[in-house]
Amino acid sequence: MYRWGEHVGELELELEAPTEPAVFRDAFAAFCELVADGQASDAEQRTIELQAAERASLLAAWLEELVYLADAERFVPERLVDLQLDGDRLRAAVRGRPGEPRPLVKAVTRHRLAFERADDGWRARVVLDV
Amino acid sequence: MSRAQRIGEVVWEVPASARADMRVPARVFADEALFEAIERDGSLAQLENVATLPGVVDAALAMPDAHQGYGFPVGGVAAMELPDGVVSPGGVGYDINCGVRLLALPLSAAELAGRKEPLVHELARAIPAGPGKEARTRASADLDAVLRDGPRVWAEADDLERTESQGRLPGADPAAVSERAKARGAGQLGTMGSGNHFVELQRVARIDDAEAARAYGLAEDQLTVLIHSGSRGLGHQVCSDYVKRMENAMRRYRIELPDRQLACAPASSPEGEAYLAAMAAAANFAWANRQAIADAVRLAVARVLGESVARATRQVYDVAHNVAKVERYGGRDLLVHRKGATRAFPAGSADVPEPYRQVGQPVFIPGSMGTASWVLAGEPGSLERAFGSTCHGAGRTLSRTGARKRIEGGELRRELEARGITVRSPSTSGLAEEAPFAYKDVDRVVEVVQRAGLARPVARLEPLGVVKG
Repeated sequence: MYRWGEHVGELELELEAPTEPAVFRDAFAAFCELVADGQASDAEQRTIELQAAERASLLAAWLEELVYLADAERFVPERLVDLQLDGDRLRAAVRGRPGEPRPLVKAVTRHRLAFERADDGWRARVVLDV
Repeated sequence: MSRAQRIGEVVWEVPASARADMRVPARVFADEALFEAIERDGSLAQLENVATLPGVVDAALAMPDAHQGYGFPVGGVAAMELPDGVVSPGGVGYDINCGVRLLALPLSAAELAGRKEPLVHELARAIPAGPGKEARTRASADLDAVLRDGPRVWAEADDLERTESQGRLPGADPAAVSERAKARGAGQLGTMGSGNHFVELQRVARIDDAEAARAYGLAEDQLTVLIHSGSRGLGHQVCSDYVKRMENAMRRYRIELPDRQLACAPASSPEGEAYLAAMAAAANFAWANRQAIADAVRLAVARVLGESVARATRQVYDVAHNVAKVERYGGRDLLVHRKGATRAFPAGSADVPEPYRQVGQPVFIPGSMGTASWVLAGEPGSLERAFGSTCHGAGRTLSRTGARKRIEGGELRRELEARGITVRSPSTSGLAEEAPFAYKDVDRVVEVVQRAGLARPVARLEPLGVVKG
């Protein structure tokens, strides 16, 4: 699950999930909420491969890649068809289409960035610059 | 109990001794109510973190509009001694050279009469939030030329003269800007972006300083257009790229910080020099973006009010909010980071355009949507107390989520329109996030910078119509 925390200037995304991949899936769902343009189609697929030394940085890199696709390629993500975590690597397949993503998210900050074990799973936090 | 002490009428300070890692005090310009908000939302703690940066001098400063940001608070100013003080990309921000430009029309609000709605409609058509499916922007402008030279690639001399740094930071190097950043920026010239970016049609409601208003070419009831935008995806990617690069380099320079977002390197290091070259290029892109938006404003004015009105629509000035610049204070070269703050040089400064040199540099302080904005003039106190800086806006006081909980976008649009303010926005929720109650009282913020001697009021502008991204 995800929810938007209270941050005066930006958007603070709080994530809680039973597994690490589920945290990344929830982050994807949160991002889709921000850029949705009201159309529904998943005619195209993008493959994403990332690497980062620790999980928090990998989560930031994952969201950064989605920001880049939306901004540079006008790609509106709709559906996550595959997401694998293997060591310090992430591999994902995202379906969506070129459209008019809302240009809200500028970047993924390192401020208060966290990815840690919780009582019954994993908890993460990332602040988006908007 | 607050660690801050009140050290002046509108000045508060956390001494450097408050934390073992602080190198200088954290100083805030605010009255009691504004200071309480700055302390409550975490901005003061963020300012204390800024005071730990290597090479920081005098004090880390927060303006009265400061609010919680990432790394630096928004409304923060910090100066680092060169050559070895650090540069922090997060201390400039993702939206490099986000800023405002004011245009003055040769027409009064009374003369506009029934043409307000068509004008706001044309402004919305001419200035998209994003590139969209159609190439409506100056996609043909050579990107590397824009990164090197900013708006001077095509702009008229009058506009350039009335732009901070004449719209071009020295040392810009397109090669320091990644291909990903260029891919994001391609096609985005002339687009506004989203969030708090806007183009607003206004009228001069009041003149407070007749001499400065005359120099700026502003008269009572005159129409103005205020543009708020930045370097778009290109600048955002430059910052992202260099925050990562500096995070990786910090161990080499033995820098430890309380917040990853403050990642930095000595300005004289290879990483620092490369960032400054890329930042200058992104800043030039931002000035070109506001130039392209200004061109679109003049086009909309021509369509609705005629060619002669468009030709006589003058640029008052253009100022940056997010930038790091080399400036000289007390005989030292300093790298002044302004993150949500405006340069505010006083009368007599060589960097103020000749037509304004007798009255001081123009500064524009946008209020929240639907409230007044201010034109100020830089005062000597800015050089003495704030590295030539003042505030940049009203400053948020409520989160976007909080704003959406309190009002629905459609209701806000009706409220604003009932007050005679025409609203055009593609996003209803985006509108709610920018509701006036989510911001501090801009009049109060302006009063503080006046009392602090940083800038003085010249004119108050009231909104007639707003186009949101």
